Amino acid sequence: MNFLVVINILFALIFAPLFDGFERKVKARLQNRQGPSIFQTWWDLIKLFKRPPVIPSDSIKRLYILAPYITFTAVLTAYLIVPTLLPQSLNFAGDFILVIYLISLATLIFSLGAFSSGNPYAQLGSNREVSLLMSEELVLAFVVGILALIGRSLSFEILFPLPLKVSSILGLALLFVVIYVSSARIPFDIPEAEPEIIEGPLIEYSGKHLALLEYSIYLKRFLLYSLFLNFILPKETTIRTGGFLLGLIVLSIVYSSLEAYYGRFRLDQAIKLMKKLSAVALVAWLIALMGW
Amino acid sequence: MLIEILEKNGSKIIRHDENIIIALVSNKKLKKVAKELFDAGCYYATGVGVDERPKNGAFAMYHILNCEDEKRYVIIKTFAEELKIPSITPVICGANWAEREAMDMIGIEFEGHPEPERLIMPDDWPNGVYPLRKEFHYNQKVPAIEVKPKKRKKDPKIMEVPVGPFHPTLHEPESFELYIEGEKIVGASYRGFHVHRGLEKLAEERLTLNQVPFLAERICGICGFTHNCAYCQAVEDAAKIEVPERAEYIRTILLEVERLHSHLLWFGVACHLLGFDSGFMHTWRIREAFMDIAELLTGNRKTYGMNLVGGVRRDIDENKKKKLLEILDKTKKETKEILDNVAEMKELINRMEGVGVLPKKEAREIGVVGPVARASGIDTDIRRDHPYAAYGELDFKVPVYKEGDVLARFLVRYEETFESFWIVEQALDQMPQGEILNEDYELPEFAYGLGYTEAPRGEDVHFVITEGGNKLYRWRPRAPTYNNLPAVPIMLMGEKLADAPIIIASIDPCFSCTDHVAIIEKGRVCRCSLEEYLRLKR
Repeated sequence: MNFLVVINILFALIFAPLFDGFERKVKARLQNRQGPSIFQTWWDLIKLFKRPPVIPSDSIKRLYILAPYITFTAVLTAYLIVPTLLPQSLNFAGDFILVIYLISLATLIFSLGAFSSGNPYAQLGSNREVSLLMSEELVLAFVVGILALIGRSLSFEILFPLPLKVSSILGLALLFVVIYVSSARIPFDIPEAEPEIIEGPLIEYSGKHLALLEYSIYLKRFLLYSLFLNFILPKETTIRTGGFLLGLIVLSIVYSSLEAYYGRFRLDQAIKLMKKLSAVALVAWLIALMGW
Repeated sequence: MLIEILEKNGSKIIRHDENIIIALVSNKKLKKVAKELFDAGCYYATGVGVDERPKNGAFAMYHILNCEDEKRYVIIKTFAEELKIPSITPVICGANWAEREAMDMIGIEFEGHPEPERLIMPDDWPNGVYPLRKEFHYNQKVPAIEVKPKKRKKDPKIMEVPVGPFHPTLHEPESFELYIEGEKIVGASYRGFHVHRGLEKLAEERLTLNQVPFLAERICGICGFTHNCAYCQAVEDAAKIEVPERAEYIRTILLEVERLHSHLLWFGVACHLLGFDSGFMHTWRIREAFMDIAELLTGNRKTYGMNLVGGVRRDIDENKKKKLLEILDKTKKETKEILDNVAEMKELINRMEGVGVLPKKEAREIGVVGPVARASGIDTDIRRDHPYAAYGELDFKVPVYKEGDVLARFLVRYEETFESFWIVEQALDQMPQGEILNEDYELPEFAYGLGYTEAPRGEDVHFVITEGGNKLYRWRPRAPTYNNLPAVPIMLMGEKLADAPIIIASIDPCFSCTDHVAIIEKGRVCRCSLEEYLRLKR
């Protein structure tokens, strides 16, 4: 049955950009705009894939070119483990940790590639990207701890879905926030801040490299949505598929509406907030430890 | 008091009335007079270099100062002796740019100027060609000379981040170079005047008296009306033209409508720079109503084309008045709603509070104007201090904040927005009947005129010397950003890079200005090149 994983990956590849288009539309409506068609993200990607990439002369060329491919592959690999439309996936003990690794790897390689471009804006952006990653990592570690404690396992096979407990609700609420932060949305789009550092890490990338990076950002968001939904949805196929699609739409609307109601944080403000959140996560972990 | 200072130093008083004193000061006494005037509470409004060879056989420099205590403008005139005039920049640092501009455009040498480098003209402009001299013609082309760009030394610890000439934060070409250590700004330099269009030359040589208002309106894409209003007032002042009262009221209404749309535009831009795009979209939606008002009253959404010397071109009838009040009533509520929402957003306030502080002392020395000055605790407003148009008969408050940060500038504009609604309502109510244009005047020969308005960004000064007939001898407009911009490097010093866009935007810049480098270290202003800066740091 493992070949069904291919369907999951295809589903993600096709629908991740569509969901971004949908979110753009939601934001536009909230901002009193008409907004582009929901296919716009796809048109943008197709256009970018057709364009020849330009490589800056100051860059460390190999690293610069390799980074988008590694980022993209890392995110795509995670789809083997996290089920999307169909509940099938490749599972083994400790796959939770691997997914976290793959997501962090994507972010780090992305920053490294941007850093090697030699552009000061990209360097500042990667600097911010890594600082933000480090600050959210602590919360994420606690979230993993909470969820693992509840299911007494580090494998998704046993963890999906979580039993209804106080600690699992707290754990999922924290995961909800962490997903928001790591999908680089306002107020946490600090690494890309367009008016400040002009898209930061992405500034020098062009053509298919840019397309790959943007594609992996959409895929990463989509992956995190799926991860969150898997913790809630029951495993039976019939309800699951419908529930999964509905869940994706709800999450999209909630996340993009939240984005429309905030201004951007400064890096230090974001880090301070993440520190406070870590304290909350610690308390939640203790609750989980008590077995509530 | 001012007149005493001038008389004590043996200056010749050319004109002396309620608003303006013009005095001829000898070269030897210039610096002393400037110092005493500055100590008496004057700030440097602008300086004008004039080629007066056909008239007096010499070049002249006019320093225009605004005295807030006496609510009067003082213009000190000096003749260049062998093309040399002592610089007053060491005494009043606000005179820096004006003197360098006269150096570029007229070719007067200012002795003792701390940085006698080009400001307006590009580096490839030939030496010894001065565009504002009378023998140079507006359509003359000059061959470019070759310049080698200076090589710069780099410090591995300091990152140079260019903001501009093209950058999404800035909506016009100008460039800030920021020196960054980590995320902290340790130095900032400004280069501008990329878009100097030679309007002054065009006005003197090519255009007639009543064509210039339309040119003046095109100085700015946002606050054009305030420029042509200031120009018309300057000519009216020179020729002693009586403007019909109804025309004064119509000007006031349009000036305030312009302020409303300009302030809303700024709120939108500020929201966008802070990442709050919803606020940006919604303020600009409301702003549309003011564009409609402008269209209703003048036929144009922007660049109204309403002013002529001696009055305005279109009347406001009862029907328009009724419609205008209706729109105002509706937008007032909407504006209040959205601005209150923005003011209540904690993360936006946190981003603005205590950021980009401009202390009062520095503000005074540079001579900042408008909302920037009012946010640094300087109680100044041309509308109240030097009433023009119908402002003398209207009642309004002038908000002043002491903090000097971005938030204070935000709040000043916030309060001003609602004062503007109130001013328009009053003006519509009190507007007398009568003529709107006085065309019965004659232009005197070589008369001085000064026009001033409070533009949305601050004091806007136009200086005019008439030629007689229907021509001007010299016209010098000075936009408020000219005075506010030198303060930006001070505000940027020591702040985070993330805050740079909002700090630059907080003066509501309207750029139209070349090579100027000002680097600040530990709060001390040092105007030097990067190499010198790096040397100083070591």
